[in-house]
Amino acid sequence: MHIPDGFLSARVAFGYAAVSALAVGAACYRLRAQRERGASALLGVSAAFVFAAQLVNFPVAVGTSGHLIGSALAGALLGLPAALLVMTAVIIVQCFVFADGGVFALGANVFNMALVGCVVGYCCYRLLCGAAPSPTRRVASVAFSGWCAAVAGAASCAAQLSLAGVVRLPVVLPAMLGVHGLIGVGEAVVSALVVASILRFRPELLEAGPSVAPSARPGSVAVAAGLGLSLAVAGVLAPLGYSAPDGLSRVLLALGLHPSVPSPLLASLAEYGLSGVVSGVLATLLAGCLGTLFLFGLCWLLALALVPRSPRSSEPARVAVESSG
Amino acid sequence: MSPVHRAPAALKLGLALALIMGLAALPAEHALWALAALLPLLLIARLARLQLRSLLVRWAAGAPFLLGVASLALFQPHGLQTSLGLLVRAAICLLALQLLASVTPISELLRTLRRLHVPVLLCDAIGLLSRYSGLLSDEARRMRRARAGRTLRTSRWQVWLLLGNSLGLLFVRTLSRAERVQAAMRSRGGA
Repeated sequence: MHIPDGFLSARVAFGYAAVSALAVGAACYRLRAQRERGASALLGVSAAFVFAAQLVNFPVAVGTSGHLIGSALAGALLGLPAALLVMTAVIIVQCFVFADGGVFALGANVFNMALVGCVVGYCCYRLLCGAAPSPTRRVASVAFSGWCAAVAGAASCAAQLSLAGVVRLPVVLPAMLGVHGLIGVGEAVVSALVVASILRFRPELLEAGPSVAPSARPGSVAVAAGLGLSLAVAGVLAPLGYSAPDGLSRVLLALGLHPSVPSPLLASLAEYGLSGVVSGVLATLLAGCLGTLFLFGLCWLLALALVPRSPRSSEPARVAVESSG
Repeated sequence: MSPVHRAPAALKLGLALALIMGLAALPAEHALWALAALLPLLLIARLARLQLRSLLVRWAAGAPFLLGVASLALFQPHGLQTSLGLLVRAAICLLALQLLASVTPISELLRTLRRLHVPVLLCDAIGLLSRYSGLLSDEARRMRRARAGRTLRTSRWQVWLLLGNSLGLLFVRTLSRAERVQAAMRSRGGA
């Protein structure tokens, strides 16, 4: 999902970079206001963990393998601001050390994988999890939030590519959603496995809440949930936009993001005709809803399979955890 | 250390950004002009005494996304021209970034980021990430090898279970390592 350089126009790149910079700045502010720089070691080493975890390959089928993205998992384990910083650090290092994802597109990449991924993942997790969840519920929520984060990130990536006028939204959105719907299944399974094993080794790490969380103010979850919901709506309902070009282009104009003259939105509309587009969108939306529900069921089954029924885990296997220096 | 390696990171970053932004501003019908940047880039690679082969291998690792989007771009009016232009532009940008990454050590990059007033917390995280990522991936590799030594033949689902388990274990170890790092930093008068 790393967008390389050369795809985004300057306006799109700078717009997303500004939004990402604001979000990262806010996360830094939240964390620094919270504790005297004690969090920095935990942040850095957790970033190294996400980085190392992304290198572990899970065999999928003959010759292919997948790996963790980790934004939802980081959100569940570390809390929203810390996860945002951790993922941003990972993306910056991938860009400047491995040339994975462009430097000009860095803002857009941070937006997709860190901001959208963490916010959607974290909000899904918190909303599904509730206050004092059972282990099964916790594992299921982590799995489902991993899938949601991957799909939402892909949708926002598709939106950026079409805003830059590279590929039209009706072409790129189904392709990105299709591929990342599958990748997200892998992400869900791996996240569930990791959380299930953490629950076995050290349940208190998860039960005590996020490790670098700012103290839970009652409003903060609601604010984050609202933000996540609006991001999700923006991502999922973006395809609806091209049935209503007036409203969307007005919004784009107001944001200063007006697409360049041969507008991909208008061009697609002229080609397909309105009625076909609307019914197509409805069918897609219905299929999307059904798919999401199906995935949710799968996540729950996975959690049932992974969490042992008997309360055997009351005595965590601490011995295996210690490591040498 | 070639002169290119020794040049200030801010200069290299600025040049790369200028090239990439220039290419982004290039209108689609003149995208093939991006090829003109190929010669100076190769010259710089030569000056930096980089192996052309390893540069190409690393370049090819970034190609799949490029090809994917370019092939998607085929399915629209003037598809061939658009997608060819995109491909050329993005390939040149990728080469430039690859070059930047291979001649800029991360410590230099960090110093530049600090000077650009990137938040301290993020800079610290990047520094620690570059310090500990090798260590943690070594640890993950060790755990994987130990697992392979103990379980001789397994089904795919069991492999996933074991890998997921080792990642969970790695996270728990990460937390205790973070505590040790924090204590070490504090005892040396750091944060």
